[in-house]
Amino acid sequence: MRKLYVHQLPIRIWHWINAIGCVLLVLTGIQIRYVGLIDVLPFRTAVIYHDWIGAIIVGNFFVWLLSYMFSVRIRVYHPELDPIELFRGCVRQAIYYSYGIFKGAPNPFHLSRTRKFNPLQSLTYQIVMLLLLPIQCFTGILLWDLSRFSRVVDMLGGVRVVDTVHVGIFIIFVFYIPFHAYLGTLGRTPLEHYKAMFTGYEEVPEDQEAEKSA
Amino acid sequence: MNAPKKVLVVDDDPVIRHSFDRVLAGKGYVVISAENGQEALNKVAAEEYDAVFTDIRMPGVDGIEVAEQLRVKRPWTPVVIITGYGSPENQARAAAAGVRGFLHKPLTPESIEKSVEAAVTAPAVADQPAPMPRPEEEPEEPKERSVTVFFKDVAMFLAAPFIGLAYIALFPIIGLLLLIWNGGRALRQRVLPG
Repeated sequence: MRKLYVHQLPIRIWHWINAIGCVLLVLTGIQIRYVGLIDVLPFRTAVIYHDWIGAIIVGNFFVWLLSYMFSVRIRVYHPELDPIELFRGCVRQAIYYSYGIFKGAPNPFHLSRTRKFNPLQSLTYQIVMLLLLPIQCFTGILLWDLSRFSRVVDMLGGVRVVDTVHVGIFIIFVFYIPFHAYLGTLGRTPLEHYKAMFTGYEEVPEDQEAEKSA
Repeated sequence: MNAPKKVLVVDDDPVIRHSFDRVLAGKGYVVISAENGQEALNKVAAEEYDAVFTDIRMPGVDGIEVAEQLRVKRPWTPVVIITGYGSPENQARAAAAGVRGFLHKPLTPESIEKSVEAAVTAPAVADQPAPMPRPEEEPEEPKERSVTVFFKDVAMFLAAPFIGLAYIALFPIIGLLLLIWNGGRALRQRVLPG
């Protein structure tokens, strides 16, 4: 096996802060939303924790954004401009995840320094990192101090609209986070990708089988 | 009229074998396939081939061993290795086996046709295999970008989720069109063989 350095230090730090922060936000968010049903923390304490962790996640998002914007590695987040190619790649990857992996088939995606994400990952991360997370941060900031941002909130249709969007994306994240954690275990060993997110190095076969296409 | 060229494709993956068959059908080639190295050696022993295309990793006799044995038994038969990225060890073994070149995956109809044409027409150049690309040899990313490239990169980055959402909306239509297209092609090949 050969080691390939694909996860830079700022990205690894961002990733783990983001991972822990998002889990804590989900947990405190559940406490805030279902106060009365769940009483692990007092409501005020849950709100204070949620606000502070949210502020860390917003700051952390900008670390991620700037570290990519000022690096050529920004291209790993570029869209595939050929829809048919993307479609084929997504279908191939979905078949692998849903069937091939259980039959011992090789992963159709092969990592390189310039291709860090498989087509499904690429599509998902583009939407999560560049659309859902920024909207969640923005609506979170508005809800953090409603009186200060009342004009913006009114412009967007009122507290109910902003809150619905925030909770809607929260629900998406509740499903996304465990799924992301599960897919992280699908390396050659369950901890391979987790280890790579600490060391920065992914292991690739010396003579890796490439995509079976044509 | 020229006799069709005989190409032996050795790969344990039926998708690869069928790819050659599909691409080269009706273009002056006869494609014969073998599932493993031993079957390939048996076939080469029984008849002449104009070129042999072989995968490296196969159960039993591997692709480089096929090339090594062919170099001894049929030195005039060009052998091309079908590969993704090659390790230095395999590159050295392939060079020693005198392979004609490498056909890199992922395969495309163009790459298959071009490689087969080159293998069956070019004069033998044993001991001079085309260099295998290794991931370490991937071109380094440029450290600096012009302002135009920077803004283009950022624009693509920011547009990515919207393009992604548009694709998700289009996927059912693309899937349906691909199904009709591939079904039509299969039907045409069945109705009008050759």
